[in-house]
Amino acid sequence: MTWSIAAPAVTAAFLAAIVEVVEAFTIVLAVATLRGWRPAAWGTTAGLALLAAIVLLLGPLLDRVPIHSLRVAIGILLLLFGMGWLRKASLRAAGIIPLHDEDALFAAETDQLDQQAQRQQRNLHWLAGITALKAVLLEGLEVVFIVIAVGAGRGLLIPASLGALAACVLVLAVGAIVHRPLSRVPENTLKFGVGVMLSAFGVFWTGEGLGIAWPGQDIALLFFAALFLAAGLIGSSLARKLRMEFA
Amino acid sequence: MRMLKELAAELVGMFVGETRLTISVLAIIALVGSLVDFIGLDPLLGGAVLLLGSVTLLVESVLRGARSPGL
Repeated sequence: MTWSIAAPAVTAAFLAAIVEVVEAFTIVLAVATLRGWRPAAWGTTAGLALLAAIVLLLGPLLDRVPIHSLRVAIGILLLLFGMGWLRKASLRAAGIIPLHDEDALFAAETDQLDQQAQRQQRNLHWLAGITALKAVLLEGLEVVFIVIAVGAGRGLLIPASLGALAACVLVLAVGAIVHRPLSRVPENTLKFGVGVMLSAFGVFWTGEGLGIAWPGQDIALLFFAALFLAAGLIGSSLARKLRMEFA
Repeated sequence: MRMLKELAAELVGMFVGETRLTISVLAIIALVGSLVDFIGLDPLLGGAVLLLGSVTLLVESVLRGARSPGL
């Protein structure tokens, strides 16, 4: 394990987890505000336990897959996933699609829980718990993929998991203190950064899997990341100009 | 059951955010793999095609999104 692989892997897991945990926290907070902390807590705990089970099951299983095939498969998935995030973040930065709004999400989720309560008088705590569980599970799935993708086959599963866990603890601690949606977190900037890193990993591992020996080995990752960063920024700037022309 | 469907949709959506971008990236990977494996292209040249192709596809996809934000 070298720092040039480990540092971006752990950083990608940490930053991606911050983005997703902030989104999940907004929904869990809506549940807690309307139905109390008990269903919110059990839903969150159950969701986290399911996500941990997926990592614990899939991680060692993937270690048994031949490294060559694993790198191609994970490289392709990382490239698709990373470029998807980078594309969306570029479009958001250009103002083409709206930025993620935690306050609006909180209001929408609260409203939906209210409507559920009016329709169904029984099992409100159960419904609230399931809502929290679903939020944690759906938002956490992307983090689990990133942790497994950057960690498996490189012996980085534990460091990447710890990076994601640190983000969880940080968001929950800040959330517990401020007790409102974390709308000031620069989600799009974080998504942009994670998209850059994952796209760079994707090209690197897909190439290695196809038999390409990158010059400079792991250091090539930094060059790839710089190129994707430049492409994202150029794309965003051109998209903004296009938008102004059409307006 | 509904939650399973949502999970499946989330999983698919993770990798197929924009269909045309996904297909283009897969096509470029297949092209590079074929060129390196069957035609005997220098792997480094293949790597350059993969890297520059991906970056170009990204910019093209962002611009396409800007022209038609619904995509």
